[in-house]
Amino acid sequence: MPQVPIIMPQLGESIAEATVVDIKVKPGDEIADDQEIMDVETNKAVMGVTTPCKGKIAQITVQLKETYPVGAVLGYVEASEADAARFAKQAPPPPQREVAEEIPERADQEITPARQKKIAARDGDGARTGGLPVPVVAKGATFMSPRVRARMAELQLTTADLAGIMGTGGGNRVTIKDLENFLQKIENQTAQEASAIRAGVADAMRRSWTRPLSTIGSSVNLEPVLQDRQSRNPKPGPGLYAVRALALALAETPGAAAKLIGSRVVQSNSIDVGIAVEAEDGIMVPVIRAADKTSLADLTAKYKELVDLGRQRRISPDMQAGGVATVSNFGTFGMEWGTPIPLPDQTLLLGLGAGKKIPSWDEEKKQFVPRTEAQITLSFDHRSIDGGGAGRLLKHVIELLESPKKL
Amino acid sequence: MSITYLEAIREAQAKLLRDDKRVFIYGQDVGGAFGGAFKATKGLAKEFPGRVLNTPISEDAIVGTAIGAAIEGMRPIVEMQFADFSSIALNQILNNAGTHYWRTNMPVPITVRLPSGGTKGSGPFHSQSMESIYAHYPGLIVMTPATVEDAYTMLIEAVAIDDPVVYCEHKYLYYHLKADKLPTEGLPTGRARIAREGRDLTIVSYSAMVHEALAVAEQLAPDGFEIEVVDLRSVKPLDTDTVLASVARTGRLLCVGESFPWGGVTAEVIARVTAEGFHLLDAAPQRVNAKDTPIPYHPNLWSAHRPNAKGIARKARALLRE
Repeated sequence: MPQVPIIMPQLGESIAEATVVDIKVKPGDEIADDQEIMDVETNKAVMGVTTPCKGKIAQITVQLKETYPVGAVLGYVEASEADAARFAKQAPPPPQREVAEEIPERADQEITPARQKKIAARDGDGARTGGLPVPVVAKGATFMSPRVRARMAELQLTTADLAGIMGTGGGNRVTIKDLENFLQKIENQTAQEASAIRAGVADAMRRSWTRPLSTIGSSVNLEPVLQDRQSRNPKPGPGLYAVRALALALAETPGAAAKLIGSRVVQSNSIDVGIAVEAEDGIMVPVIRAADKTSLADLTAKYKELVDLGRQRRISPDMQAGGVATVSNFGTFGMEWGTPIPLPDQTLLLGLGAGKKIPSWDEEKKQFVPRTEAQITLSFDHRSIDGGGAGRLLKHVIELLESPKKL
Repeated sequence: MSITYLEAIREAQAKLLRDDKRVFIYGQDVGGAFGGAFKATKGLAKEFPGRVLNTPISEDAIVGTAIGAAIEGMRPIVEMQFADFSSIALNQILNNAGTHYWRTNMPVPITVRLPSGGTKGSGPFHSQSMESIYAHYPGLIVMTPATVEDAYTMLIEAVAIDDPVVYCEHKYLYYHLKADKLPTEGLPTGRARIAREGRDLTIVSYSAMVHEALAVAEQLAPDGFEIEVVDLRSVKPLDTDTVLASVARTGRLLCVGESFPWGGVTAEVIARVTAEGFHLLDAAPQRVNAKDTPIPYHPNLWSAHRPNAKGIARKARALLRE
């Protein structure tokens, strides 16, 4: 009987290969058309490979845990003449190999025998493996020559400082001349030395921005917090409620604040939460240690201490280090909404907007009632956590803020 | 009055013979009425009887004899008929002359003249450039004059230097290159010369290729490119400082040499610039050499084999676009 090949399917736009994680059939098994016979895993998901037609498994040519390119033959099905004919018609034309392509310039330096001056042609039309788009090489706009790097180091410039330069080099890279022209241009403008704190914040934000950051947001009913606040002495600000709520939420799902470093997920042993405090020409983020184990009253006292120290500019780097997440109460500036950037060594940043009285539908009273509501945002490093995980965490924070007795 | 590169070499030897009794010329057919294969010693035998001596056809024996004479206080100038044949004297030049001072504290002040480089139709055994071989070995000075003036002053200096000197004179320049008059002084050995000033690209070269580089600089000037050309003059010692200073001005480096591409002077220059001046480079340094095959006989093949202004210009443009 004729045999029809089982092919590794195209599993997604940018997927080039997949690893066989399960083989559900063996040679001789009767199979139906479109039956799942194998599981393959890509860097995105596990997917099934199905049979091309009904028949009997003639052969499985792959091995478990091995990786094969899209388009590879995984096995064969013994099929009817009719099916085989159908697949023979659909089969793509055999790839043309050994298309001679001169490697330009190379011949300049060294003569190689003509028959070696070929590169293997890529299979098919470029849509399949072996025909993946050529990866972008380390040239072009992102390439910094040693000289440009040296000049940048001399002037303490970062790549971010060069963002405004249109490069004229190969692939629009910034050449040393482009850099010097740029520097000359800014010479004519007013400039002053940045303060140490400004430079520090700039450095932290620039480092943080190297990551894929995302922000989600929702509204939170602030009425319970505002009421609860009246019953406490001293009265904690809404920002401190948010710190406490975040700390308690993280205590239940500490993985949400984990950092991805290389291929390892690193998790702190203590839920230390930072609070963004505005300082002259910059921002400071003192950290409250074990905020999940610190009562709201203690938190309020500690915060007052920190703010006093901040005014005296006596918040040391140690006091700002080691947080797992930070709360930014941008509502204090009257802002309702924002997308704050997490600190470079943290995965999460919770933002709290300004409270605003809005008409809110009351299901019991069947009417609109006034209520103070704020927008609450969670910015996160998308390498470490996804929208779902971040959303559940934020939801939990909102629940806690709306039942402040738990805090 | 106009004087050629070849005449400058002859004049330098005449002056040396005139000024210094210790100098004598030793080589195949250099004496008598013949005056050498290229006539670099023409008339000298008559003018200086007994001091321009014909030798047997044995480069090994020629250099060995000259070393002995130098040890005894003479200043011999050895003429190789073609640089290619000096390979037969490699043992004498590298192992004896090159090491003698370091072993015995007694210098060997010989000068070995190598008619070097390619000319049309000369083929594999009469076209080679040997400077990279000699530069590799310690104890030797290797000169590669590119101008009539340098041909004159450097040969005079070669004889004055106590170390053995390999003086690579380019056959293509013998008749092509002319100057108005001979200089009275030149740059010291070991100092490179800025043959043309520029700010966009440095071409480092030596010997005949300096003129190809200058032609490229001229050719690219209308497009707004200002190319700096550095003439190394001597490949050993190699004037790294002048090269680095030039790369500091331009940020880009192209090295051009007529010898084979594997290793050699161009590779050495790039190695030094990347090691000591990595921070000066705004693009990866490049080089142009002959092809990595024996030198072909046929004139058309030879033209394709040897670096020329056209190929250098193509490389220079690509480097300027980087």
